[in-house]
Amino acid sequence: MAVSKCTRLTGPLIKQLLDSVDNVLFDCDGVIWRGDQAIPGAVGVINLLRKNGKRVFFVTNNSSKTRKMYAEKMSLLGFDAKEEEVFGTAYCLAMYLKTIIKLEGKVYLIGNNAMKQELENVGIQQTGSGPDLIFGTPSDWANVPLDPEVKAVVVGFDWDFSYMKLNRAMQYLSNPDIVFVGTNTDTRLPLEGGKAIPGTGCIVKSVETAAQRQAQTVGKPSRFMFHCVASQFGLDGARCLMVGDRLDTDILLGSNCGLKTLLTLTGVSTLADAEAHQKSGAPERLGMVPDYYVESIADLLPALQG
Amino acid sequence: MAVSKCTLLTGPLIKQLLDSVDTVLFDCDGVIWRGNQAVPGAADVIDLLKKNGKRVFFVTNNSSKTRKMYAEKMKTMGFDAKEDEVFGTAYCTAMYLKTVLKLEGKVYLIGNNAMKEELENVGIQHTGTGPDLIFGTPSDWANVPLDPEVKAVVVGFDNDFSYMKLNRAMQYLSNPDCMFVGTNNDTRLPLEGGKVVPATGCMVKAVETAAQRPAQVVGKPSPFIFDCVASRFKLDGARCLMVGDRLDTDILLGSNCGLKTLLTLTGVSTLADAEAHQRSGSPQRLVMVPDYYVISIADLLPALQG
Repeated sequence: MAVSKCTRLTGPLIKQLLDSVDNVLFDCDGVIWRGDQAIPGAVGVINLLRKNGKRVFFVTNNSSKTRKMYAEKMSLLGFDAKEEEVFGTAYCLAMYLKTIIKLEGKVYLIGNNAMKQELENVGIQQTGSGPDLIFGTPSDWANVPLDPEVKAVVVGFDWDFSYMKLNRAMQYLSNPDIVFVGTNTDTRLPLEGGKAIPGTGCIVKSVETAAQRQAQTVGKPSRFMFHCVASQFGLDGARCLMVGDRLDTDILLGSNCGLKTLLTLTGVSTLADAEAHQKSGAPERLGMVPDYYVESIADLLPALQG
Repeated sequence: MAVSKCTLLTGPLIKQLLDSVDTVLFDCDGVIWRGNQAVPGAADVIDLLKKNGKRVFFVTNNSSKTRKMYAEKMKTMGFDAKEDEVFGTAYCTAMYLKTVLKLEGKVYLIGNNAMKEELENVGIQHTGTGPDLIFGTPSDWANVPLDPEVKAVVVGFDNDFSYMKLNRAMQYLSNPDCMFVGTNNDTRLPLEGGKVVPATGCMVKAVETAAQRPAQVVGKPSPFIFDCVASRFKLDGARCLMVGDRLDTDILLGSNCGLKTLLTLTGVSTLADAEAHQRSGSPQRLVMVPDYYVISIADLLPALQG
């Protein structure tokens, strides 16, 4: 396939692209919904893709829901989706620890209830989630008791993140044999009305700075996210389309795994961002240029309905 | 003066160096104390320097004490030091906001009581200190009410640091006219027994990542902290010696301001770190090579007593 051209997807091109793939993988935040608001037309697109014989999957870096919770949110918003079709990083991280790291031992978790549940579902115990307030003196912090069964520090979206958690993670990670894994490095989470809040990337960065070590990252653009889906459903990358709103996660994952890529402009990245990567000519930036772009995935409707 | 040679300071060299300066500036953590334990011999070194007619100042990136609190800690630990000889970043950040940024308006403060006091001492109001726990939904976080009088976000050492504070800072900083100042970038605070806890740099990094903007940093190696001392006491950089334990803050500040530099090995940086910078040949690293090093500042005692 030729070098990504960042072509506007319109007219007969839409049907041509859809005919060339069997599977469509959607990012969620900024693509099919923003916060708790569905993108207008998104439900129609997904229903029609299925009617047209395509398999549809959802691949999101958001670690705050289990597959079950995602299926429930989708149902509420009118999307037709089953639990097994949704791949969030709470689930994928648990799979990564179980199948790739083959972790034997506990996790010190900076995360949320969804991550707790997905870890429990694969039989991995955790310690640390929930509020963790400061107490005592700096000397107490430095000498905080460590659970000897902890063999990994895991960082995901944690709205109870605190200095004490940062400290505990740092103390555990001073042992080089402790594994360090993050769900994703997105710096912002886009919500309704163009608003945003800090993303997991800010928390991961904080822990990496204290620990003076880099986290292994499970979420896009790491290939593991695609591998998780592909291995369970026998997908051929060349017959897959990745639809996302972030060049440095969704589109880069697509490029890394040989998928076709479609950027939608309802989320984080802009057309100007994509064109800047294209003009740069730098090899590490060209992977972030999408094959195609649309203003919104609703732009696919005419071709699907016709 | 010749290129920094990282020479062991011993024998007649000590007296030679001390005779060539009128003023000695000491870092605190890892140099004269570790947590609440004085480095053996440090109090005597300071006494004798003063007896020998040298002026002595303390320049620390630690933002958790006011000048008054530092003077009290020093007294408790047997050091002879007055309030106006101590320059911590709580004080220097307040001075920076007042005299350099000429701030008119409030500060959203991620910090501590000492920073609060030093801001109040220069007439700058602040909001945000103390615990700040999560409430509501992500939408509530994105729409958290902002005080229109806030004109700067300031980040220092905050053991109540939380996701909610990170969020508020990000929301304020989405206004490009809102200033962004950090006390320092040190990633770790060294305590007794070789232990460490996470330092302010981890929190500054989290906020910079969320805000997608760099903070203006007041502490070492920024020349401002030397200017703070030099302008008050009319110091001539060439007749000053900077004594510190960190190559990337203390020694770099010394190089940036034309001071002589002495590395002590009782804190964060090692001799191997210094020699690696020296061997690198790269200009940005050569400025982190100290002129001299000692194992501990107690090594200065023989020359001072003799």
